[in-house]
Amino acid sequence: MVVVVIMTVIYYLLNPLFILLISPLFMGIIKKIKAMAQGRTGAPVWQPYFTLHKLFKKEIIYSDNSSFIMKVAPYLNIGFTIGAATLVPVLFLPPEGSVPANIILFLYLLVSAKFFMALAGLDAGSVFGGMGSSREMSLSAIAEPITIITFAAIAFVLNTTDITQMFATTASNSLTEFPTLLLTGVSLFIILIIETARVPVDNPETHLELTMVHEAMIIEQSGPNLALMEISHAVKQTLLMAVLINLLFPLGMPDSFTFAGVALGMVSFAAKGSILCVIIAIFETSLAKIRFFRLPSFFMVALFLSFVTIVFELIL
Amino acid sequence: MITTLLLVSMAIILAAGVLALSGLIQPNIVWRRLSLLLMLPGLAGIIVASVWVMAGDLQVLIPLFEVSELLAVNFYLDRLSAFFILIICVVSACVTVYSLGYVEHQPEPAQRQWSIGLMAIFILSMIGVVASENYFALLLNWEIMSLSSFFLVILERKQAENIKAGIYYLVMTQLSTVFLFFSCLVTYSSTGSMAVNASMPAMANLSLVLAGFLLGFGTKAGLIPLHKWLPYAHSAAPSNISALMSGVMLKVAIYGLARITLNLESIPLGWGLVLLGMGTLSAVLGVIYALKEHDLKKLLAYHSIENIGIIVIGLGLYSIFTFYSLELLALASLAGALFHSLNHALFKALLFMCSGNVINAVSTRNIEQMGGLVKRMPATAGIFLVGAAAISALPPLNGFASEILLFQSYLGAFQIPSLFVAIGVFASLAAFALMSALAAACFVKAFGITFLAIPRSEAAAQAHEASPSMIAAPAILAGLCVILGVGSFHFFNMMGLNLPVPNLLPVTIIIITVVLIAFLMIRYLKIPVRKIETWNCGSANIDSRTEYTATGFSQPILNFFSPIFRTREMVERSFTDVFRSVLHHGKAEIKTMQIFEERIYLPVARFAMRIGRWVSNWQNGDLDNFILYGFIAIVISILAAGWWL
Repeated sequence: MVVVVIMTVIYYLLNPLFILLISPLFMGIIKKIKAMAQGRTGAPVWQPYFTLHKLFKKEIIYSDNSSFIMKVAPYLNIGFTIGAATLVPVLFLPPEGSVPANIILFLYLLVSAKFFMALAGLDAGSVFGGMGSSREMSLSAIAEPITIITFAAIAFVLNTTDITQMFATTASNSLTEFPTLLLTGVSLFIILIIETARVPVDNPETHLELTMVHEAMIIEQSGPNLALMEISHAVKQTLLMAVLINLLFPLGMPDSFTFAGVALGMVSFAAKGSILCVIIAIFETSLAKIRFFRLPSFFMVALFLSFVTIVFELIL
Repeated sequence: MITTLLLVSMAIILAAGVLALSGLIQPNIVWRRLSLLLMLPGLAGIIVASVWVMAGDLQVLIPLFEVSELLAVNFYLDRLSAFFILIICVVSACVTVYSLGYVEHQPEPAQRQWSIGLMAIFILSMIGVVASENYFALLLNWEIMSLSSFFLVILERKQAENIKAGIYYLVMTQLSTVFLFFSCLVTYSSTGSMAVNASMPAMANLSLVLAGFLLGFGTKAGLIPLHKWLPYAHSAAPSNISALMSGVMLKVAIYGLARITLNLESIPLGWGLVLLGMGTLSAVLGVIYALKEHDLKKLLAYHSIENIGIIVIGLGLYSIFTFYSLELLALASLAGALFHSLNHALFKALLFMCSGNVINAVSTRNIEQMGGLVKRMPATAGIFLVGAAAISALPPLNGFASEILLFQSYLGAFQIPSLFVAIGVFASLAAFALMSALAAACFVKAFGITFLAIPRSEAAAQAHEASPSMIAAPAILAGLCVILGVGSFHFFNMMGLNLPVPNLLPVTIIIITVVLIAFLMIRYLKIPVRKIETWNCGSANIDSRTEYTATGFSQPILNFFSPIFRTREMVERSFTDVFRSVLHHGKAEIKTMQIFEERIYLPVARFAMRIGRWVSNWQNGDLDNFILYGFIAIVISILAAGWWL
C-alpha cells in the first residue's frame, strides 16, 4: 500500500516534469530538420530553450482593451496541459488504478486549454486574434470526431479506455497481435499534425494571414505569458507523440519504477521521440499548405482509417 | 410525514402565488418581495421531501381526490420522480431569488404581479406532472403547465413578435397534449391501468402508443424536427421564465420519456434506435443552428435543443444496451442521461439568468451590439464563463462529468452483437464528438463577442452591473456546477453506483497546483507590466468596427457545414450598357432556408387549412341545411343500429 502511494507520488512528480523539460527539444529538432531539408543551416536544437529563457525575462504587455481573461489564460493553459501530462505515462507505468488516466478526460483537458487560449485571442479586440480563435475552434470542431473515433478504435482493439492499461497491453504484447493498430497509427499521426498546427494544416513559422491559425491566436501574448503558451503547445505535441509512440513502439517502457528503468525510459523515449520528430519534419517539408476550406478532406483520411479499424474489428 | 411535508410545501407555494395575484389590486414591491420569499420555504420543503425519498429509496402514494378510477388526482413519489422534482425545485428556488431583482425591471407593475403569480402556478404544475400517480393527473397538470407558461411567454405583449411566438408555442404544446392524450387512452384500453408507473407489456399496439408518447413528450422537449417553437418561445419570454422553461420544463418532458422507457417490460430495439437517431440529430443540428444565431437567448435556446438531444441519446443507448442485456453499459447510459438532465438544468438556468442581466443592461439581444462587458459587468461575466465552460463539457465541471458517462457507454458499443447496430452507434459517437466540439466553439463565440474586447455599441459602453440578487442566484448555480463536476465520482460512490468514470479530483488538484506554481514563479521574477493599445497595423484609432464579429467568427464552421444550411442566394443585376459592364442597379440576398418550417410545418398547416375550408363549406349557417344534417345522421344511426344489432 505504502509502496503504491510512493510510486504514485513519484509518477505525478516525475512524469510531467520530464515531459515539460524534453518538449522544447522536440520542437528544436523539428525546426532543425526542416531547416536542413530546405537547405538552410538552421538554429541549434537547443534554440527553443534559449527563446523561453529570453521570454521569461521580458516585460508583459497587455492591451488597454484586454481583461482578466488575458491574464489567466496562460496559467490555465499550462495548468490544463500539465494536468493532461499526468495522464500519459512516458517513463514508467504507474501502479494500476492509481491514476485516472481516462482517454476522454485526456482529450478534454486539451480542449479546455484550447478554449481559454481562443478566448484570450478574442480579448484584445484585434482582428488577428479573433481570426486565429475562429479558425482554431473551427479546425478543432472538425478534428474532434476524428480524434474520438480514432481513440474509440484504439479502445476497442485494446479493450480498455484507460491510457495506462493501453500502454501496459501494448508493452506486454507484440504489435503483430494488433495489426489494426497500424491503421489507427496513421490516424494518430494525422491528429498529431492537426493538433500541433503544422503544415499542411497551419504553418508554425509564419504569422501571415493565409496560414494564421495558432500563431495568430496568441499574437497578443508577450513575455512570460507567451512563454507559458509556447511551453504548453510544446507539451501538447509531446503528449500526442507519446501516445503514438507508446501504442506502436512501446519498447523500453518499464512497467514499474526503478532508477535504472526510468533512466532507460528517458533515453528510449528521447530517442524514439527524436525519430518521430524527423518524420514530422520531413512530412512537413514535403507537403504544401492546404487551402483552409479544403482541410476537411485531409481530415477525412484519418476518420476513414479509424472507421475501417472499427469495422474490421467488429467483423473479425 | 413526507406526505404532510410535501402537501404543506405545495400549499405554501400556492399561497405565494395567490398573494402575488391578489396584489394586482394595488401592485407594490412589498407584496412581490413577500410572495417571492414565501415561495422559498415551500421549495425547500419539497427539496427535503425529495431527497428523503431518494435517500431511502421509498415509494410514497399521496391520495388527493378521486371521482372514479379514471378521474383521480393522486401523487406518487419514487426515486425517478423525486430526482426530477429535486431538479425542478433547486432551479426554481434560484429563479425565485433571481426574480427578486429581475421582475422590477419589467415595465408595468401589473405585469410584475402577474409574472410572480403565474410563475408559482407554473412551478407547482411542473411538480404536479412529475409527481402524478396516474395519466389523468398527469394530463391535467400538463395542461396547467402549458397554459401558465403560455401566458408567461406573452407577458411582454407590447411586442408583436412575442405574441406570434406565444401562439406558435400554444399550438405546438396543444398538439403535444393531443398525442399524449391519445397514447394514454390507448394504454388504458390495452392494460386497464391509468397508473403512470404501470409496466407496459409487449402489446399489439405498443409501437402506436410509443409513437404517440414520443411525439407528445418530444414536442415539449424540443426534439428536432418538433423543435421550432422552442427558440421563439424561449427568446420571447422574460429571462427568469426562460431559465425555468429551458432548465426545468424541458426536463419534465424528459421525465415522461424516461418513465415510459423504464415502464417497458421488454424494450423494443426500434425504440432505442429511434431515440438515438432523434437525439443525435437534435444534438448536432441544435448546436449548428446555435452557431449561426446571434440573438443571445435564441442561441441558448438552440443549445437547449442540443442538450435535450444529449439526454435522449443517453435514453436511446440505455434502451439499446438493455435490449442486448448489457446491464453495466445500460446503467452508465441511464445515469448519464439523468445526470445530464440535472446538469443541464443548472448551467442553462445560470446562462439564461446571466443573459437576462446582460440584456437588461444593453437593451438588445443581438450579441453583435455587445462586447467589452467583462469590464462593466465582471460578476455576470465570471458566472457566465463558468456556465459556458460547463456546457462546453470542459473538465472538471459537471457538463463533462455527465458527458463522459455517455462517452464511456458509447465506447462499450463494440459488445453489441449486431454489426449494423454497432456501426450505427459508432457513427452516432462521431456526431456526438462533433457536437461537443462545436458547443465549445459556439461558447467561445458567445462569451468572446458578448463580454470581451471593445464595446460594439453605445449601450454596451454604458452598461452597469445587475443587482445583488440577480448575481447571487446564478452564482449559487455556478457553485453547484463546480461541486457536481469535481465531486461526481464521489457522489456516484455515495449513491452506491459503480460507474466507469474517472475521479476528477486529483486532476483538479494538479491543475490548481500548476497554476499556482506558475503564478508564484512569474510573481517572483518581478516582471514589469505595461498597458498599451492593441497593435493596429499602423492605421488610425482602432475601434469596434475593426473587431472580429460573431458572424465572422462562425463563418468558417458554417462554411464547412454549408450543405446543412441550404442557403438561397439571389442576385439581381441590371446594367446601363449592352456590354454588361457598368452596373446600374443590383440587389443580392442570402437567406437561410428554414428547412423544417418549409418542408414539414407549412405543408401540415396547409393541409389542415384545406380540411378546415372544406368543413366550413358544410357549415354555412343555414337552418335548413342543419336540419338536413340532423336528419341524415338519424337515418344513418338507425340503419347502423339495425345492421349491427
